[in-house]
Amino acid sequence: METITRTLDNGLTVLLRPMPEAPAVSVWVGYKVGSRNERPGITGATHWVEHMLFKGGGKLKKGDIDSIVGRLGGKFNGFTDTDFTIYFETLPPGDLDTGLMIEAERMRNAAFDPQESEAERGVIISEREGSENSPKYLLSEEMWHLAFHVHPYHWPVVGWKIDLERITRNDLYTYYLQHYAPNNAVLVLAGKFEPEDAMRRVESYFGLFRPETQPPPLAVTEPAQEGERRGEVRRPGTQDHVMIGYHVPALAHADTAPLLVLQAVLGGWRGLSLFGGGFVPRSNRLYRGLVDKKLATDVSAQHRMQADPGLFTIEATVREGVDPAKVETAALEEVEGLRRKPPTKEEMARAARQLRVWHAYDLDGPTAQGLLYTWFEVAASHTLLDDLIDRCQKVTTADVRRVADAYFDETNRTVCTFLAQEGGS
Amino acid sequence: MKEAVRLKLGNGAVLLLHEDHSNPSIAFRGSVRAGAAYGRPGIAEFTARLLLRGTKRRSAAKISDATEDLAAALAATNGMESVALEGRCTRETLKETLRIFIESLATPAFAPAELEKVRGEVTGDLRAQEDDTRRAATRRLLELVYPPSHPYHADPKGDARSAAKIQAKDARAFHAAHYGAAGMIVAFSGDLETETFRGLVAAAFERLDSGEPPNPVPTPKPSKPANAVIAMPHKSQADFVAGRVALARTHPDYQALNLATILFGRIGLYGRLGQKVRDDLGLAYYSFSSLEARLAGGHCLVSAGVNPKNLAQAVAAIRAEMERLRTEPFSDAEVRDGKTHLIGSLQVTLERNPENAAAIHDIEYYGLGNDYLERYPEIVRGLDPESVRKTGAEYYDPDASSWVASGPVKGVRLSF
Repeated sequence: METITRTLDNGLTVLLRPMPEAPAVSVWVGYKVGSRNERPGITGATHWVEHMLFKGGGKLKKGDIDSIVGRLGGKFNGFTDTDFTIYFETLPPGDLDTGLMIEAERMRNAAFDPQESEAERGVIISEREGSENSPKYLLSEEMWHLAFHVHPYHWPVVGWKIDLERITRNDLYTYYLQHYAPNNAVLVLAGKFEPEDAMRRVESYFGLFRPETQPPPLAVTEPAQEGERRGEVRRPGTQDHVMIGYHVPALAHADTAPLLVLQAVLGGWRGLSLFGGGFVPRSNRLYRGLVDKKLATDVSAQHRMQADPGLFTIEATVREGVDPAKVETAALEEVEGLRRKPPTKEEMARAARQLRVWHAYDLDGPTAQGLLYTWFEVAASHTLLDDLIDRCQKVTTADVRRVADAYFDETNRTVCTFLAQEGGS
Repeated sequence: MKEAVRLKLGNGAVLLLHEDHSNPSIAFRGSVRAGAAYGRPGIAEFTARLLLRGTKRRSAAKISDATEDLAAALAATNGMESVALEGRCTRETLKETLRIFIESLATPAFAPAELEKVRGEVTGDLRAQEDDTRRAATRRLLELVYPPSHPYHADPKGDARSAAKIQAKDARAFHAAHYGAAGMIVAFSGDLETETFRGLVAAAFERLDSGEPPNPVPTPKPSKPANAVIAMPHKSQADFVAGRVALARTHPDYQALNLATILFGRIGLYGRLGQKVRDDLGLAYYSFSSLEARLAGGHCLVSAGVNPKNLAQAVAAIRAEMERLRTEPFSDAEVRDGKTHLIGSLQVTLERNPENAAAIHDIEYYGLGNDYLERYPEIVRGLDPESVRKTGAEYYDPDASSWVASGPVKGVRLSF
């Protein structure tokens, strides 16, 4: 299926994925602003702004988004990431205007009522505290904190609690005005609509917005890591966890394709999107080396594919009674063993097929298509999404070996362990 | 969505198809009545987890290699009444995917090495649940809601004792008793022609033995409301859950209670509950209601995650919202919005093959009639607002509910 690409005069990029047989239309808007655009003192501002954009403004009163979309039976949500913020509504096909109206109001007319900002502080802190309840979250926070000394990936998307206690309404509103502009956004429509008619509607809702001067591109580069970094989180708990991270290039880099093939060989493949389901991949090196050997109860590998150079991570839950050090050693043998023992022909064929077929599963339905095309456009380019799967088919064993050599090195790795202490149950 | 093609096979299995070629993939969702209610603690969990871990002919590694070489995916997940079966493949890989699936259903190996891995997984999952405020509170609440004599009372995963004891012979016996085709339902959606469905798919499932039809699970009687507190001083956030026994999916009041649940704590950003506890008071990231309606019965719950210092206030606010269902019942406008939400959301939900397959599976599982999707808008439009108000007030009655709080709750004065 072809993606129709347009750009409004004000710089808004519009991607259209018409699906004439679909029972719904999905409206997505992605902004090129994530926690990477914050600075110390306002960490978590991007995510807080996202929350505020469900509270009305312009034609929308507080609660209207929920009630309008709810009344239509639609789905809606917002996500904040390190690199972007995304909103969507999936609606019955005749209700495209509703989604466009909500997103247009959200882009320029949000209210940021001071009382609402203050009430949301408790919600945001509660969200953070809910995450803190999870050992895996604490471990992940420690990993990124340790692996990035300079780049904003150092802090979590939800922000540090001390900042969440201090950020003001004006901090948030200034941040909103700066980043929420048509020339910093992409609008993606996927589902049942007629493209020319949809473009007329898009123009009428978004065409009059003025572009805003955008801050200069982020000029921070994380210096190369020059030795292994190690961290521990000791807290009451019931299970130990091990997480290993290696610095890898950004999503747009040519090595993304071999790294994805490598991911499939190491940890299996369950698609790019959030819709992978509850399937557990078992035909992969990490599962065979850790779970089959009764060292871990689960293990996964993931290239995080970020706008800036990020991490390739391996996570394992340590089986009861097993020393976490043994899990770490076994994981490292599999990961760094790829340099000595490159993938077999069978492993390469399996990985290539999985990447190709799961891409079809990934693109099942308007919501799934909207998510993937928006994500790729705000983090790199939507054309990369289609190209990437094709490029993965051409990856050779030598390519995988080369990227394993380049990135899976002791000096480039960070190892964090959650060591469960007494009192966890 | 048009009516599904339905086949009842000679061995009792029911197969369904929603043909849709808009995406080049096939999803299937199914069930076999071999859930936790049918066996001693933990046995259904072990059997389901072992189902795709090797057959009499092929080892676990060979089964996963064969599945993943096709880029197909298979899963079996234990539930309270049934084991959920699911898969994904393409038209090119359908035949081989079904071969692996049927071989696994009919002749699982229950190899000792795989059993030990599953033992580690189940034990680990139980321990993770103990350390999770929300899961621990919900589990405890269900123990309070359902009487100990009823199968819904216990954790479908079993407990640490059962996980330590289960042997391969136990799983083998449970499989022989409960994994027959009688009572099995599998629904397909996607890039699959009716002809292939009637031929290749039906022939694959015909190979299964019929087995004995499942016995019904007894209807649960409500327990006397009770409260519990689970102290987890090391956690940052507290969770609490309130709930009571509700209705079976087939009960005449189900639709009314479902709509009441949506209005109370689901529609938009969590309905009335979300508006009060999250939006107005800023006390919680989440606060919602849920209804689980099974064949024999079910329960409705109210859940929230809050900062411990806000716990007492949040409990009071939620209690007040539950009481408000009596003093200020849903208005006609709220009910009207809820109805349009239900009708619209059915359409929007059916946008992907896995959801389509799940929908037609559930229609068969609960005996709702093959034309249910067509009738659904009329069913919803015909709901009497009075019955929505009445069921809401009855099943979200704070005094008839049990309450559980978990997390760093020491020193917090709770008035359930």
